[in-house]
Amino acid sequence: MKETSNKYLITAILLGLAFHGSSIFFTLETTYDALIHLFFADHYANSWFEPWNYEWYTGFTVQSYPPLVHQSIALLSMIGGLKFGMFSVALIAIVLFVTGAYRFSLLITGNKTVAGYACVLAVFSSSFIETLHIFGQLPSIVGVSVLMHALPEIYLWLKTGKKWYLATSLSLIAVTVTSHHVTPIFGMVFFIFPLIGMVIMDVSREQVNTMKEVTFKIFLNTFFKLFKRILSFGMLSLVLIVGCIFPYWLNSKANPITQVPIPHGSRDNFLEITSSGLVFFLIPWGILLVLLPYIFYRYYSKRYLFFGLSVTICTILGTGGTTPIPLKMLGETAFNILTLDRFTLWASILSIPLMGEFAYRFTEGDLKARIQSKFGAVYHRIIGGILAGLMVFMVVFTMSLNYFRPSQPQKIKMLPIVNFLNQDDHDKWRFLTLGFGDQMAWLSAQTNAMTVDGNYHSARRLPELTTRPIERLENSKFKGVAGIGSLQQFLTTPEKYNLKYIFSNDKFYDPILYFCGWQRLRQLENGIMVWERLNIPPVSSILPKEDVAKWLKIHWGIMPFLTVLIAFILNIQMLWVNMLKTRIKSTPDFLKFPTKYHKFNRNVLRITHIWSLFLAIVVCYGIYLFYLKNDSQRSPENAIIAYYDALDFKEFEKAHSLIDPENQLPIAQYMLEISVTDGLLSSYAKMDAIATEITTHNDSTVSAKVTTQWITPLEKIEKIDYKSLSKRKGKWYLQPDDLNNDLPPDQLYANNATKYFNQGRRRITTEQTHHEDILKQPVLEVISAKLVQYDGSYAIIGEVQNIDNVPADVILKGTLYNDDNKELATYNAKYHVKHKLMPKESTSFRINFEGIAWSRTQDSIPDTFNPDEFTPVAFEEQPTKFNLQVAGNVSGSDLYKNVVLSAIDIKEETINGNLFNSGIQEITIPQLLITYYDTNKNMVWVDHLFVKEGVRQQRKQDFEYRILKNGQVKIINTNMDNIFVNGLPNDAIAGKIVPNRIENHSDAQLQKIDHPDFSYIKIEINTYIGSPN
Amino acid sequence: MQGIRTFIFLLGLILLSSFAVAQQNETRPPSILLTTQTDYEVGNAVVLEFTASEGEKPLLYCSNSYGSTLVEALLKNNVIQYKIPENITKKTGVVLWKLLQEKESVSGQFNLNPKAEVATIETYIGPPSIEAGETDYTMLVVIPTDSLDNPVPTNTKVNAKFQFLASEEKEAIFTKNLIAYKNIYSKRKSGRMLVSSESLGVNSKEFTIQVWAAIPTDFKISAKRPHNYADGNQVTTFATSVIKDKQDNVVSDGTFVTFFITTENGNILKTTGTTIKGIATSKMIHPDFKDTWNIKAYIDGMAESDTITLNYQSVIDDFDIAFTNKNRKILVGPLQSFMKQMIPDGLQVKLLIYKNNTLVDTITKTSFNGYVTFNLKPAVYQNGNYNFRVETAGIAKTFNNKKLW
Repeated sequence: MKETSNKYLITAILLGLAFHGSSIFFTLETTYDALIHLFFADHYANSWFEPWNYEWYTGFTVQSYPPLVHQSIALLSMIGGLKFGMFSVALIAIVLFVTGAYRFSLLITGNKTVAGYACVLAVFSSSFIETLHIFGQLPSIVGVSVLMHALPEIYLWLKTGKKWYLATSLSLIAVTVTSHHVTPIFGMVFFIFPLIGMVIMDVSREQVNTMKEVTFKIFLNTFFKLFKRILSFGMLSLVLIVGCIFPYWLNSKANPITQVPIPHGSRDNFLEITSSGLVFFLIPWGILLVLLPYIFYRYYSKRYLFFGLSVTICTILGTGGTTPIPLKMLGETAFNILTLDRFTLWASILSIPLMGEFAYRFTEGDLKARIQSKFGAVYHRIIGGILAGLMVFMVVFTMSLNYFRPSQPQKIKMLPIVNFLNQDDHDKWRFLTLGFGDQMAWLSAQTNAMTVDGNYHSARRLPELTTRPIERLENSKFKGVAGIGSLQQFLTTPEKYNLKYIFSNDKFYDPILYFCGWQRLRQLENGIMVWERLNIPPVSSILPKEDVAKWLKIHWGIMPFLTVLIAFILNIQMLWVNMLKTRIKSTPDFLKFPTKYHKFNRNVLRITHIWSLFLAIVVCYGIYLFYLKNDSQRSPENAIIAYYDALDFKEFEKAHSLIDPENQLPIAQYMLEISVTDGLLSSYAKMDAIATEITTHNDSTVSAKVTTQWITPLEKIEKIDYKSLSKRKGKWYLQPDDLNNDLPPDQLYANNATKYFNQGRRRITTEQTHHEDILKQPVLEVISAKLVQYDGSYAIIGEVQNIDNVPADVILKGTLYNDDNKELATYNAKYHVKHKLMPKESTSFRINFEGIAWSRTQDSIPDTFNPDEFTPVAFEEQPTKFNLQVAGNVSGSDLYKNVVLSAIDIKEETINGNLFNSGIQEITIPQLLITYYDTNKNMVWVDHLFVKEGVRQQRKQDFEYRILKNGQVKIINTNMDNIFVNGLPNDAIAGKIVPNRIENHSDAQLQKIDHPDFSYIKIEINTYIGSPN
Repeated sequence: MQGIRTFIFLLGLILLSSFAVAQQNETRPPSILLTTQTDYEVGNAVVLEFTASEGEKPLLYCSNSYGSTLVEALLKNNVIQYKIPENITKKTGVVLWKLLQEKESVSGQFNLNPKAEVATIETYIGPPSIEAGETDYTMLVVIPTDSLDNPVPTNTKVNAKFQFLASEEKEAIFTKNLIAYKNIYSKRKSGRMLVSSESLGVNSKEFTIQVWAAIPTDFKISAKRPHNYADGNQVTTFATSVIKDKQDNVVSDGTFVTFFITTENGNILKTTGTTIKGIATSKMIHPDFKDTWNIKAYIDGMAESDTITLNYQSVIDDFDIAFTNKNRKILVGPLQSFMKQMIPDGLQVKLLIYKNNTLVDTITKTSFNGYVTFNLKPAVYQNGNYNFRVETAGIAKTFNNKKLW
């Protein structure tokens, strides 16, 4: 019999290439993972055999991820660049997946038409679409596709015992291993074990007449008969799994993953966090959800029994934290390391053959006959239409998910950043990106400059990162206090990492950058703001690396392609035969066990109906709940939540629509009132939680206490508002707040100020340091400094003055020692200091010693992350001495000093006052530094307050500060011997410029307070200008 | 046997003869230096000549402070010559040499002396800014070098030239240990000093030293205001006299001055300014109630001003309060200023609400067109008797037992 081409397969390949091949150009670059793989590929393209990469995480090894896909991209990039390589590999992956789905389906069903149906449907499988177009997991796709190709070969080896098949199956397993490490390991469990079971069933079946006659005894006997083949295959593939990526296993052993678990959506409770449920359960299952009863019915038939078990386990594991079972099955460690969505992916791939089978039986098989005979032809068509419609809907929905809910920021033009890093030796320092999303990997691929961040968290080694449940520093705002806290630590002590430049694509981070002592350099033409920090040494030219043996490097560089080459040579012949039908070959054994589709089980049809009805009800109920929650004016609570949400997302029109229409507040006026309020809360805060408490109630009026939690870059803010709401025509509306009517006295006014500009390099030259162009470091004087302990934590407090004639950027670095002069901790002043000082200006400061400051951090970092919460435990770790290094550098930016303390009212527990902005810039975030003094006017503590609202020009802004309650400060050391300014002793250098300093000069001007522990305070004001003009 | 003996004998002869040859070699006379000159001017060719011994051409090892090298011999008329390479003769200093013969190696040294010419002048100066007052200094370092980049001979004269304000000075300094240097002390005046240097007719480029004023001395302050009413709206401007250092130089622009204001009840307010041409100005909004301010300015640790006193008169002596709409609408005003004009918008009015003599709520509003209205919602303030207190512009009015219904 002459074999005919399988037109379904050809259709599927063409469809797959046309559909996915054209859409990857619009999706792949915005996926989560694709650009990470691109970065790895860039590494191989530049240094194929050297596994150490300096660019991320102060160095890591690429032997931490199987290399085949990366190396393929790298090889292809030699032809047409990295992105060409990536898209080419993606196209190959698509073809591999479609053909793999065909061969796997053929193996399972033994029917070419059914397999054809299956591979056409696999093209539109929502789990495949999601993995490729939303997650961009190329290695995973290649791995599982090649595994599907390997399955028929394994079957034939076990069934026939021909050594040729052993070779082909092992060669394909090897390719799977080098492209993705997790796939073959779990593939063994979920794909190959059930397959072995199926082979034994088939062999047993041959010994008897019907499937029913296969008893456990026969099964066991067959198992022992085939045991040698199974064992040989198992052992050899184990050798391959270990051997092919041996350097990977060696590296995993040498550098075990110390990372604390990073939350992942696939581990959520999908009923609670519905967005995770959508992405990690509903989308990958898609249309298969409807077919679940059929899938289980078929896979639990005798021949496929083991596949039934496998699908069940995968399904359950894929439900993540919805049920406690996955956690119990996997154990704490594996549960927290693995992303569980891969189990759903495998379950859906296991279901592909049966999806094809169902479609076949539905369109031209016995199911069609049964439905038509029972319900009529019209019903069959309607059901067909609904199923097809659902399928198309899932495809369109999945493909467009990134359009409606972008997982990534807008595409950033990298060229200006790459140019910036290349010019003027900027790549001699490390950089950090903020708000770039996964595009940071693409930036890293294009430049040689190094970053402290990175995008492959399994490979990082800095304890500052591995002890934190954050993916990347650059998106830390999504990780709450832990994220912002970790970022602050890097921003406060950047010299430790030679971190000088920050590219910010998100103005959310601006205040923290400013208050940590960074300054704006300029905005690049792509809109990215460059921030820099002064006094950072460049990266040393020789960097540490963890070297591995030469043979491991060669193994890593050669093995992946070797496996591909061998697999190609071994399988190419079969491919040609299969595809071109050049010669007639014997039918493979698995085609000898076709299923007869003559009578569709009535109960399965019934259960499928009931199940579909159940699903429809669940979906409708879900939509109803969604409506209830989102009908913003149904209840006062809804109205308040909707109003705050609208404000949070700056949807002012929506917010205005919730304002009581009887107030006749026009939208223009409303916008004007909203837009004049700038500040930490209105411009830099993200709402974290909202709680409403209805205090008084009658039918039409309600007043509510609204407690909102906001994450700001500086601190977590709790705000309590009192809102009143009215009910009009069954809808709840909010009453507008009163306006501040403060009227500035002047329409136009002038302000003179001294401005500075530092030329930097006066001559265009690449000479490193032209000594004439170097400015003298401004001389600073530490007026007082002491080591104190307050509320369990240690701090260095004091006062520093710029005694030079030029403005200075001040960096204070404190180190603590114990009695044996052992260094215990070192840290910089964060925001308890004015980082920019005019000539003769002084500031109070406080250096905190946060968790990572201490040398023995590992054992003492608290479980719940709070950067301010740290106390050394061991007695010998108690600091008794300190060293203070102060560095001044000339800086002309952020020198706005026109803010006035215009009124103050001291009460027992609080200080109320007004700030008045007398200058010509709008103050975005005013900060108060409050210094406490004892009865003898000795400085004892420094505290701060960020005023939540900004201050407009010539306007007043009130503030309320809560005086510290428990005020016992223990002064440990007041010795000022070890204080150095620009590397010179403080006393000597200060004595030269201010030989006759008036000690305690402005002590007479301290504010008296009534407090058991403190007697005086001093208030200093620091300002952040969000948009200087 | 005979044959073997002969063989051993012959072998012995051969062995002996080989010794003889070796001995002959040892006795060969060593090469002797013919060149007598030991001092050369740098840059000139240096050739060392030795007597040749039987066609042998040993290597010459020579080293200077840059490094060492081997020189090959050139045999000429039974004299072997060594041409010292240029990279050695271009550098001043001592050159040690050694002839690498097998025994009795000959060694010696010669000097390469600097040229008495200056081709370039390397100049360093720092710090680039100093303080006036004849105590702070910057250091000028001049390194004249010849065309081969060698330092010139010791005691070569260098003229250091300074221009400062009206004066132009010139001072001779001499090189020693390769460099010539001078500490340049500041004068009493602040300003900009230009420095250059000259040696043997070659001039350096220009260098700039900024001489800043020294630390400030005490100064005076003054205040300017549109009127002396406490309207909470106008702005008083404080200014310092021209702040100078003890040498009468105006302090550098940007010097930070803090004005402390002590109010009547002992609270400390604060405003700051930076100097331009020695004068720092700073603004303060008027208080919204009658007050007396004592103002004193400081430059922390260095200088302070005299104290001035400002009085602010109350603008509002009295105001009306009207209760309407079941006492739930409280209208405060008209709030009139000193000329009976409506007070500018933004005056704070506080309403304190007491029930059973406990404070229930404080509502703060700002005036608009001279009035403030408080609406007490029935949903929030239930029917009953309340005490109210209205505070504004330092005046408080109390209403007891007002009934809301």
